Amino acid sequence: MNRWTAILAVALAVSSGRAADVTWDKLLRAQSDPASWLTYGRNHAGWRYSELDQINAGNVAQLVPQWMFQTGVQGKFETTPLVHDRMMFVTAPINHAYALDLLTGRQIWHYYKALPPGVSICCGQVNRGFAILGQKLFKVNLESRLLALDAKTGSVLWETEIDSIKKGFSATVAPLVVKNMVLVGIAGAEYGVRAFIDAFDADTGKRVWRFWTVPSPGEPGGDTWGGDSWQRGGGSTWVTGTYDPELNLVYWGTGNPGPDWNGDVRPGDNLYTDSLVALDADTGKLKWYYQFTPHDVHDWDAISDPVLVDILVKGQKVKAVIQANRNGFYYVMDRATGKLLLATPYTKVSWADSIGPDGRPVLISGQDPTPEGNQSCPSIGGGHNWQASAYSPQTGLYYFPTAEGCQIYYKTDQEFREGQLYTGSTGGPIPLEPTTGAVMAVEPGTGVTRWKYEMVTPATGGVLATAGGLVFAGDREGYFIALDARTGKPLWKFPTGGVVIAPPITYLLDGKQYLAIAAGQSMITFALPGPAGRSASFSARRLPPQTRPGPQ
Amino acid sequence: MRRFRCLWVMGLMTAVCAAQTGKKNPLAGDPRAADEGRMMFRGSCSLCHGIKAEGGRGPDLTLGTFSVGEADADLYNVIANGSAGTEMPEFGSRLEEENIWRLVTFLRSVARREGVAITGNRASGEKLFWGKGQCGQCHRVQAQGGRMGPDLTLAGRQRSLAYLKESILDPNADLTPGYPTITVVTRDAKTIVGTQRGFDNFSAQLMDAGENFHSFLKSDVRSVKREFRSLMPDNYRRLFPELELNDLLAYLHSLRGLVEEKK
Repeated sequence: MNRWTAILAVALAVSSGRAADVTWDKLLRAQSDPASWLTYGRNHAGWRYSELDQINAGNVAQLVPQWMFQTGVQGKFETTPLVHDRMMFVTAPINHAYALDLLTGRQIWHYYKALPPGVSICCGQVNRGFAILGQKLFKVNLESRLLALDAKTGSVLWETEIDSIKKGFSATVAPLVVKNMVLVGIAGAEYGVRAFIDAFDADTGKRVWRFWTVPSPGEPGGDTWGGDSWQRGGGSTWVTGTYDPELNLVYWGTGNPGPDWNGDVRPGDNLYTDSLVALDADTGKLKWYYQFTPHDVHDWDAISDPVLVDILVKGQKVKAVIQANRNGFYYVMDRATGKLLLATPYTKVSWADSIGPDGRPVLISGQDPTPEGNQSCPSIGGGHNWQASAYSPQTGLYYFPTAEGCQIYYKTDQEFREGQLYTGSTGGPIPLEPTTGAVMAVEPGTGVTRWKYEMVTPATGGVLATAGGLVFAGDREGYFIALDARTGKPLWKFPTGGVVIAPPITYLLDGKQYLAIAAGQSMITFALPGPAGRSASFSARRLPPQTRPGPQ
Repeated sequence: MRRFRCLWVMGLMTAVCAAQTGKKNPLAGDPRAADEGRMMFRGSCSLCHGIKAEGGRGPDLTLGTFSVGEADADLYNVIANGSAGTEMPEFGSRLEEENIWRLVTFLRSVARREGVAITGNRASGEKLFWGKGQCGQCHRVQAQGGRMGPDLTLAGRQRSLAYLKESILDPNADLTPGYPTITVVTRDAKTIVGTQRGFDNFSAQLMDAGENFHSFLKSDVRSVKREFRSLMPDNYRRLFPELELNDLLAYLHSLRGLVEEKK
């Protein structure tokens, strides 16, 4: 797309009188619509890559804020905003959500629902974003409910319970639309839930299918749980998955087994926790799985974005799914079969020597939690936690934020009580060895680190890659940062004044490129000075077809 | 005011006072609640108060006596609302009421119910602090003393005796959050050393021994090094014989916050 086709597209949208619905077909082609941001990972492959290049390595130093919207809502602001039809749709902590005028940042509507008592949330009253289909927005509320909102007004079209808060369930995920279904994951593994992935009908809110991430006895994998421990097995699904339309498979990472740090009460591998599951999109049936950390006792959820890329691995062209896992290893799998193709550490790892040819980690002894505390690496959050990753077909690199360090892991006996914290102890910091962080660029086909931008604290924000040769990231101290996508050199920064926990997005408004990032309690947008198109060339740079996600 | 009102009617209306000071622990003495509280303590509190609640960066909670008050309701309040002027945060927004009571029940279950033996002499310790030890060069107590090291006005409330002793004898055993050492070498080869006042990916702020504040952009200087070591001298083990050390500890233990002048 060049500048004139961009303007034409805007003109067509305006002249049609009402905005085009976000059809499923449009969502499948989200990557080729650089004006909008229509789904959590930008496309269904989870790339978080934009073909926009008005803002590029040559001019990014001129970026200036355009508007700020302050929510006034306390808590971690983790949202990926959606952009469609001159609106920005933003979810915030504690069941707040907004539609903002893309031009001015003025609030068009506000949704809020007070949190009912009795919601158990381990790690912040957060929300990671909307999904959109037709003229409906979909979001979860913390009290484990899924809602459809009218995108024009914010009014609730339907609302349904995902599962009971009494059992310890809560919901923070950005939903994923597949066809006419809304897919959601669930949180609660720190409260002894048995987790799942659900698909709901986008029109009615009725459940279409459920995949339990912890099988019951008699089901395949049920024998990987001792006694009745499967009933409290955890396996949360709190980060959005991805989708391959050719294979019709949904890829979703699963979280830790429960209780987190005491594995004695759940002997066995504890399938399908800490795994990547590939599900038939229509039925929710398991096509394949790969378990990264069998019988995890360190809380190494495998929830990082499963990114779908077609790459060369050991000379073979592969339809792959890749993930830098919280356990410190980077993995490449054949996304049709689940076969492990590559596993290599990207940070300090002390618990496993390698991943063996059978796909199982070659364990190093003496790494498990003890009552007195035992050191192991990486730390609880990894490695790479939930912070959004990106893949740039321009550089061919996979980018992800990391924490660099170790942890002291404790273990305790604990009796289960429904709805109560059930973790089997905790982790503590290592005195005088604070965890640092980085943004890393890794060759997806080899796992080789191309560059590493080191940070003084764990990288809190997600990343975005653009055709402008840039990677955008954010840190705990509140900087929104632009890095050279090829070298990792910092090219621009803006101190937002609030911790950056969210991933940035980019979009066009009236033919001009903008960036948006949630920081502290604010949504902030950035652009180059001057009117559209004048400040930069907008070259037509089309991707080769083999690197495009979705139908070829 | 509440305390005065209670005192006023103490002889007649003890029960009413109890009601006014707050709630009763519905889980008092419940061993299961104590066990659950222990789990939560490990998750939420052990970082500062130690895995066995015997203190560390935060006070020892097994002494059976609490600076915030002795009633269960006092403990509930400090957990729910935090303690102003200390590093104790509020947990009311993160923990349900019942879970806070579980923590209170756990704390009661680990109380040793014996006081700490303070063997030293407070007044002698005060003299050592401001005299021989020169602690006041870097540390502040109320309106006196230096500013480069941590303010000790609340040291007796914030730190256990064992932790205070360790901090004197081995300043690098644990570092007060926010007090790493920063060394900057400027482009004209000047070296500036001080305690951290700010540090991020692009800049560093520090206070030097002359209490001067410095701020540098990392891109403007030759080097910036942050070390997780204390600038406090590590010769106090030689400087203070055991008796003097006990006096100094007695003084530090007595530091409980601002003392208002009598009118």
